[in-house]
Amino acid sequence: MKNLLLYTAIITLLSSCIGDDFIDDRVDPVLRITDEIQSLEVNTMYQFNFAYFNNIGAEESVNPSWSSSDSSIIIIDDNGLATAIALGEAIITAEYVDEEGNIIEDIVSIIVDTSTVIEVEESKSGVIATTTFYDLSGTFTIDSNDDDIIINVADDYEASTGLPGLYLYLSNNRNSIANAREIGKVEVFNGAHTYTVADAGLNDYSFLVYFCKPFNVKVGDGEIQ
Amino acid sequence: MKNIITTLLFISVCNIAMGGGPWPQPKGKAYIKLSEWWTIFDQHYTDTGQIDPNLTTGIFNTSIYAEYGVTDRFTTVINAPIFSRSYMNNQRSGTTEEIIIQGEAINSIGDIDIGLKYGLTRPGANIPVSVTLTLGLPTGETSGGELGSLQTGDGEFNQYLKIDAGKSFQLGKASSYISIYGGINNRTQDFSEEFRTGGEVGIGLLNSKFWLTGKLDIVQSFNNGATAENANSTSIFANNSEFVAIGLEANLYVTRRVGISAGFANAVSGSIIAAAPSYSVGVFYDMSR
Repeated sequence: MKNLLLYTAIITLLSSCIGDDFIDDRVDPVLRITDEIQSLEVNTMYQFNFAYFNNIGAEESVNPSWSSSDSSIIIIDDNGLATAIALGEAIITAEYVDEEGNIIEDIVSIIVDTSTVIEVEESKSGVIATTTFYDLSGTFTIDSNDDDIIINVADDYEASTGLPGLYLYLSNNRNSIANAREIGKVEVFNGAHTYTVADAGLNDYSFLVYFCKPFNVKVGDGEIQ
Repeated sequence: MKNIITTLLFISVCNIAMGGGPWPQPKGKAYIKLSEWWTIFDQHYTDTGQIDPNLTTGIFNTSIYAEYGVTDRFTTVINAPIFSRSYMNNQRSGTTEEIIIQGEAINSIGDIDIGLKYGLTRPGANIPVSVTLTLGLPTGETSGGELGSLQTGDGEFNQYLKIDAGKSFQLGKASSYISIYGGINNRTQDFSEEFRTGGEVGIGLLNSKFWLTGKLDIVQSFNNGATAENANSTSIFANNSEFVAIGLEANLYVTRRVGISAGFANAVSGSIIAAAPSYSVGVFYDMSR
């Protein structure tokens, strides 16, 4: 009897230890030229900017190489500083080789003209879809408003009220809330509503992620397009 | 998650097979059981009855259950989880192995149930019937851990009134019994009331030294409590848990009055309830023999 109780106690103690659950949070790294310049005035300079998100969607500081498809039109140095030399069109490429040897790049096509034109994208949109058996669906738009963004969830939005502790995040990894920005607890489960996110840009995040904190699982997401 | 745990605690109480039923303890007699009950689950039934994954969660209860016959028809009952542990695993990146969500655990006592059973029929009745009022005391931890989602109790004072009926009979040379119950669980703190029903069948083998018991427990919510939509506090998570659970328990008397037990139960369908089996082992002292 004593042995039985002892074995039971040991098994209980061992099995009640905190273990590890692993989630598949691998994503393709992304290098994103964040400038929205369409044309560059000849004989002027322009500093290109970028953001790099690694294989878990975390922003990481890297030094990409910059190149121009036609150095007779635009030249660009190692820091992304471009100089428009002559009228025409060239493709600017930012390229980074990650730790696994993968080449990650982004390109923008720039016209060298008589004036510099920057057309800031003002809105993006997407579709919210469940990734579980909890109801979650709808569409949304995201508008830029100075230094903020406004997420407008549309009338067709619907979420299960049986789901405890649902939170909304902005993330660059649809499978994880690591490195994501928490917007807040979901308090509207049907119909249109908005979230204002301060100090955020339209191109800072790629996904809306709905996450259930008590269960610690992702419930759904929406790609920002 | 809270309601999952609350409902699991109910299953753990249901899993006490040799006590309970419509039979009050004889006057001055007692049944005492020290048991360990646990479940570890990484998936749960959603509000639509489907199964979804969740971070691995474990709950362990070390409980003392006791019945004492005040008279031949009045029996006092207590179920006291004297040590309750609830934990959640770390969530790690499968890519970098870094911790995304830190695992955590809490240890405390659980919610204590005290009850009074009254035999509506005289001792020795052909079909004994009893009523039991159980009061669930909110003695456990209600929102432990950084996110407040670990708990060893539900934080509400509930009143559970049930009626039991049963019949003992011979199955060949083996003593056997069957019993059923039904009751209403009135809950506070915006939790939904519940209808609970179920039954069990048992057979005593080896001259009634070894008992096998099969159990069925059903909980249906009245869905009149808070939901995520109308709850004002983040401390109220899911509500309206429901399940159909089956269980099996074996009890072996190693002396005339002392025995050991082992059992399991599993929800075969449900809503906002863990989709994993629970297990129990224990040692008991039965003065009625």
